[in-house]
Amino acid sequence: MTWVVLSSFKTQTQIFGRGDIVPSPFTLDGYRALFGQIDVGGYLLNTLLYAGGGTISALAVALLAAYPAARMRFPFRRTLIVLFSAALAVPIAGLIVPEFVIMRELGLFDSRHGMLVFYTAMWFPLAFVILRSYLTSLPLSIEEAAALDGARYFQLLRLVVLPLARPGLATAGVIIFINIWNDFIFNLLLAPSTEHQNVQVGLALFRGQFRTDIGAILAGTTVMMIIPVIVFVAFQRQVIRGLTAGASR
Amino acid sequence: MGWGIALSLLPAIALFSAFFVLPLGVVGVTSLADWGPLEFAFSGLENYRLLFSDGTFWAALKNTAFFGVAAACVQVPVGVALAVILSQRFRGWSVLRTVYFLPNIVSAAALALVYVTFYNPRYGLLNQLLAVFGSDGTRDWLFDVDTALPAVAATWVFTAGLVMILVMAEIAAIPPEIYAAARVDGASQWQVTRFITLPLLRNIIGVNLILVLLFSLAYFDGVYVMTGGGPADRTLTLSLYAFQEYSNSNWGYANAIGMLLIALGVLVIIGVRRAFRLGERDS
Repeated sequence: MTWVVLSSFKTQTQIFGRGDIVPSPFTLDGYRALFGQIDVGGYLLNTLLYAGGGTISALAVALLAAYPAARMRFPFRRTLIVLFSAALAVPIAGLIVPEFVIMRELGLFDSRHGMLVFYTAMWFPLAFVILRSYLTSLPLSIEEAAALDGARYFQLLRLVVLPLARPGLATAGVIIFINIWNDFIFNLLLAPSTEHQNVQVGLALFRGQFRTDIGAILAGTTVMMIIPVIVFVAFQRQVIRGLTAGASR
Repeated sequence: MGWGIALSLLPAIALFSAFFVLPLGVVGVTSLADWGPLEFAFSGLENYRLLFSDGTFWAALKNTAFFGVAAACVQVPVGVALAVILSQRFRGWSVLRTVYFLPNIVSAAALALVYVTFYNPRYGLLNQLLAVFGSDGTRDWLFDVDTALPAVAATWVFTAGLVMILVMAEIAAIPPEIYAAARVDGASQWQVTRFITLPLLRNIIGVNLILVLLFSLAYFDGVYVMTGGGPADRTLTLSLYAFQEYSNSNWGYANAIGMLLIALGVLVIIGVRRAFRLGERDS
């Protein structure tokens, strides 16, 4: 990985000439070629929309379900928890045809909002599992006091539960953001037009079109990797906590 | 507050039904049909009969099994070993943990591009390194029928960061008194690891085995970008084969492969849970 990042700043002759690992002279030619040939900004914007929007709506859907599942009694509560948790183990790779057909029937195929709906559906179960276990571990008295004040359900959720759930939301959110950012197969399957592709699909396919411009390909690879690495380094504790919580479902 | 709860659960239930329950039903039913963009006709078990006499399917199954075995025999032990070592918490352990985990954070597609460059016969780092040791350095690792499958496996089986993180969390939860007692009894570091730590890790090793095997079954992005399943189907996986059949408009056939993937996933979960007695208490 380090070698690729370093090489992305090399000139073409330097890449082909065997030897030096460190680029000299340092050049941005690869990046210039990459941004000149394809709409990298558009891919990045799509990816940011999918990862940002998908994460927020998955968290919202999950919190709405996780709160009653953690703190209230209603029929089929256990069943619901078991089912949502089981969703984490479903091998989605076996479901590509039905996912495609359902997206098409719902009018969501090959569109940005369609990808958002799909990512929300894919990732809310993980957030549900993390948030439910987090909310279950909170002390009870706080929300009962709020209920005595006559706060109604959604007010309670927004004013009391939402602020309390913040650490759980951060944990789940970081993991989901990185996963959607890195998605390849579903973007390829469900939004094939160039203007709806994310940076993974866009730049991986770019390699096929411009086989010879190695500098640009290396620059593209660096662009694909940079955001998740930054997010991970900045939120390392949340990532590790989230992975640990998600695996021991 | 009844309507509040119901309304609150509605989005999750709707999404779950549309994108998990319904697809599972559809894939099961339509695997029994001759289905494409234009036609639909039930054909009984025809797809499965075709599948079992299809050489490409057996090649994909064999490759997928190879990846699964490689993940179980390399990724899990490497991750456990790293976790045991880093749990000694020597100077700089957290930096090593971060660095070792980074490839797990990067997308499979980007890593695949990294390795396409790494393996490149003309300017790749691998052949440059081998040239130092006197090799002629011209082998095209990913597109040589003899090396393609292990070359693809080598790109991810050493990426054991997730196993490492999960095992480290488990080790951190072991009560320190157990170790103190062992030290008093004069146990060596190796004995402590072998007879105390490893047996206590049985559960988490089982969980990791399930995770890496399910990942192997779903493995797609990497092969799609690196080799597209070639050369001569030497790196084709079941999930990539299902995707290809979907692209060729053989939807029913793709779904038969999908059903097999799902069945294998269930088998993995049940098999490993039994073998590792997951969910049972240590006696």
